[in-house]
Amino acid sequence: MKHHFLDQFWFEFVWAMTLKEIKARYKKAVLGFLWIFLNPVLQMLVIGFIFQFFVPVRVDNYFLFLFTGLLPWNFFSYSVMKNTPIMTNERSMIKKSNFPRESIVLAVVFSNLFHMMIAWMLLLLVLIGDKVVTEHHSLTQLTDYSIRLLYTLPLIGWLTLLTTGFSLLFAALNVKYRDVNFLVQAVMPLWFYATPIVYTLQLLPEFFGSLLYLNPMTGLIELFHAVVLMQPVYDPELVILDVFLSVVLFFLGCWIFIREAPYFDDWV
Amino acid sequence: MPKQQPKKRTIRKKSQKTVSKPRTELIGPLAVSLRSVKKRYTLHHEKPTFVEKFFGQTYNEQFMAIDGIDLSIPKGQKVAIIGRNGSGKTTLLKIICGVTKQSQGDVRVNGRVVSLIDLEAGFHPELTGYENIALNGLLVGMSRSEIKERTPQIIEFAGIGSFIDAPLFTYSEGMKLRLGFSVAVHADPDILVLDEMIATGDANFQKKCFNRIEEFFHQNKTIITVSHVMSFIEPHYQRFVWLEKGKVKLDGGKEVVAAYRKTWK
Repeated sequence: MKHHFLDQFWFEFVWAMTLKEIKARYKKAVLGFLWIFLNPVLQMLVIGFIFQFFVPVRVDNYFLFLFTGLLPWNFFSYSVMKNTPIMTNERSMIKKSNFPRESIVLAVVFSNLFHMMIAWMLLLLVLIGDKVVTEHHSLTQLTDYSIRLLYTLPLIGWLTLLTTGFSLLFAALNVKYRDVNFLVQAVMPLWFYATPIVYTLQLLPEFFGSLLYLNPMTGLIELFHAVVLMQPVYDPELVILDVFLSVVLFFLGCWIFIREAPYFDDWV
Repeated sequence: MPKQQPKKRTIRKKSQKTVSKPRTELIGPLAVSLRSVKKRYTLHHEKPTFVEKFFGQTYNEQFMAIDGIDLSIPKGQKVAIIGRNGSGKTTLLKIICGVTKQSQGDVRVNGRVVSLIDLEAGFHPELTGYENIALNGLLVGMSRSEIKERTPQIIEFAGIGSFIDAPLFTYSEGMKLRLGFSVAVHADPDILVLDEMIATGDANFQKKCFNRIEEFFHQNKTIITVSHVMSFIEPHYQRFVWLEKGKVKLDGGKEVVAAYRKTWK
């Protein structure tokens, strides 16, 4: 019984696993859905309160700036951190049955995506509300701004691609090399500061700002800021490099995962 | 099994001729076909790490669990794989089920394989019985429409009652076992993989299980089992494959069991 990629069974399986992830989360906590929004809000308040004294970011609202970066970042970091050790955590399933292994990883990514989308919608409402209250936008201006916000959809697509790529890569590697998980746990907080979430690249020395584009999350978060808050992009050409890096990483992750997946049972 | 009788005889004749030799001739459509299959495991003494590999301190101890097996199982045949612990029985089943992949050789499996070995692998304690049926059904290879159609039968067979709406952590061990077994047997397998011990729930349900498995024996299902308990398997199977150190030592009818028994003390 072989599984084929992207056939009907595959989609049904990934869908069922995603539903399981979402349902299981909200059966544990009554206020589950509230936490989607509450978690980044608390983060935003704490970081915002401290950093506004250190980071002279030129934005209208530093808290909104933070929140716009934190939502995609949280999606990325939660998904990757949960997916890295997932093959050993789900060993009971892997050792006993034959199913598309990538569905475990994809389920985590898609369920987190679902949560992020809810929080994202709420953020957009806040953003539009902010325009009405503080800037007294007219109806046409509001429509223009709303249309502009639609550009976040392809960005979320890019974010999902990048997250899936890293998740597949680390999940596959961690089966054979168990210290990959420790590495990811250690690197993630540093990665956060190597991404312009609490600061803008314009604040950094010139050479340093360009160097950070080696991190594909940099260009992505910059574009989020650019679309939502009309922040200037530090170096648009290097953003294209990040798109390229993300696609390469995605295919690398897929390739390694597909190559290793039939042998996961031997190692977990 | 009167209906099976003529077919049985022809198979046995052929299997006697080819005792311990690779079975190359085709007997009808094949359910499982293995060609010089090998499975190599790398032995770890500790968790494998990247740092180790980086500093070149890897252990290269290898172990051949399956060392060149040729095996063709025609559709509808009932095969028991016998042998000591560590002879490669479980690895062979894992390869047939697709849980792991062979290191070398060619494996072909036609039809849906359902294993009645561990039935609770895909269960999630926080989800209800219904939700777990949906997930475990997919795990044993059913499509969503098949699961939808068979859910009432699955619940009925498992005898879960009103607990079906409750999360799985409220179930007793017996109820979980029953639900798992019920999902698996409703998957309509072409190839059924059995363990020697099917201890499921109370005496009443055990009887139900045996009846169900008996039904599978009467239908034209391919059944593969691993076993130590000879008295249980002997009357039900036509063919016995004796594995030793990852190789087929003997392959044939009941005489294989007799030969295997002689090695016991």
